[in-house]
Amino acid sequence: MADLFRTVINFISILAIPLMIAIFLGWGFFKKVRVYEVFVEGAKDGFHTAIRIIPYLVAMLFAIGIFRASGAMDVLISIIAPLTNLIGMPPDALPMALMRPLSGSGSLGIMTELMKVHGPDSFIGVLASTLYGSSETTFYILAVYFGSVNIKNTRHAVPVGLLADLAGMLAAVFICRILFGV
Amino acid sequence: MLNYIWLFFIIIALVVGVGKDINDEVRNTYRNGTPLEVILISSQVPSGTATRCEGQFYLTAKQFNDFYGMSSQLEDVKQPAVLSLLQNKTGNFIFACTEETPVLWKDMAKSASGKDKLTGKIEKIEFSDDHGWAKATIVMESIRFVKLKAITQAAIDFANIAVEIAIGLIGVMSLWLGLIKVAEEAGLVKVLTRLLAPITKRIFPDVPPDHPAIGAIIMNTAANMLGLSNAATPFGLKAMEELNKLNPKIGTATNAMVTFLAINTGGLILIPATAMAVRAAVGSTNIGIIIGTSIFAAGCATIIGIIASKILQRLPKYKREMVDDTKKSEEMNHG
Repeated sequence: MADLFRTVINFISILAIPLMIAIFLGWGFFKKVRVYEVFVEGAKDGFHTAIRIIPYLVAMLFAIGIFRASGAMDVLISIIAPLTNLIGMPPDALPMALMRPLSGSGSLGIMTELMKVHGPDSFIGVLASTLYGSSETTFYILAVYFGSVNIKNTRHAVPVGLLADLAGMLAAVFICRILFGV
Repeated sequence: MLNYIWLFFIIIALVVGVGKDINDEVRNTYRNGTPLEVILISSQVPSGTATRCEGQFYLTAKQFNDFYGMSSQLEDVKQPAVLSLLQNKTGNFIFACTEETPVLWKDMAKSASGKDKLTGKIEKIEFSDDHGWAKATIVMESIRFVKLKAITQAAIDFANIAVEIAIGLIGVMSLWLGLIKVAEEAGLVKVLTRLLAPITKRIFPDVPPDHPAIGAIIMNTAANMLGLSNAATPFGLKAMEELNKLNPKIGTATNAMVTFLAINTGGLILIPATAMAVRAAVGSTNIGIIIGTSIFAAGCATIIGIIASKILQRLPKYKREMVDDTKKSEEMNHG
């Protein structure tokens, strides 16, 4: 059963992109779209969109970068740890939860480290990979998505994003404790 | 809000960095200028006035911990080093960090003069009669302002990384934007939007259900759920561009944009591809067990995100930021 499941998932992740290309272009050809010209027309925007996000991305990554380098994360963790202990979250997994919205590469490193130390199928290993798998790098997305359309006033986007992250973290701890907790 | 959070990161980084450096200075964490007695294990027999000699610095975990006033070093230190000696009495040494190097020395090496290498002076060295080992008194180079140096380095590095990421996006962006354009012209996007209209109408009441933005949002969400992050970003940026066409106040986020980002950052997922790949690499016997937990956690995050965006957009503060200029632009249109 587990093997079948894994095969299906492998199949999807290998096939998804070739299938999308085939359907998009095939459907276009079928509907008599001048596929090559239209493709090039659309692709033209790629360069400008990518270049437009540079200032936003520099601002965001630089701030998060120096925040990590200064060791401020350790300070933050020692402040928050008593709170997360209350909800039954192991202190080892806290850096993972805090890093996830800030940095994709940073949280990937922490997840790998946690699984190497505690074992991937331990409670902490499962919790860490759930935290990673169930969430996105909120601040990166805010910078890139809003940056691409030059939006500077993000209104309620940051509180909404952080509330969603908090809910995701609590949900991950809750479900992992129920299914794999000791 | 992003203003304050951004400033928060920078100010906290600087305050903590300066604080830790002052603390290091006061406690002399790195024992600057203090001589350390080690054993040099070396099979080479130095001779002559100026010699180069390779060997290992050896000291027990207890000696190391006592010297630096800590307790975290568990294994005895065996550090390969290269020495250059003057008349076999004094000299200099340099070593590159290896896997076994104590964490403290690794940290010191990061902000030392040579990248990931530590240097120092040999104040005294006495070779044993059989030349297999020697007693040495060494002084490490002075290490100061570790955190401030790290902050400087990170500021420059991450500015470069940001540009690399953006440049790296150009190719996939172009590819997917080209494909989306073909799908749009062929009417494929319209089919998708019509199918999901009953749902999207409720989540995005401000956006006409057959608007191209909805198509891009659906494709972005689908790509995210399948763990295809390469394709998800171009779809997402396309969606933002389309949503921005409906924006009455350029430069300010609309309600629909914030709701869209809530869905996106909530991380709705079916196949957490990266996490599963890492699990497999680390040797998990069951890489798939996180699929269910991830779907649940991401589902909760997304639902809370959507609800929060709908509630917060009603707050007078956020409402005002949007409405003011709508009126202005209406007046301009009429006048």
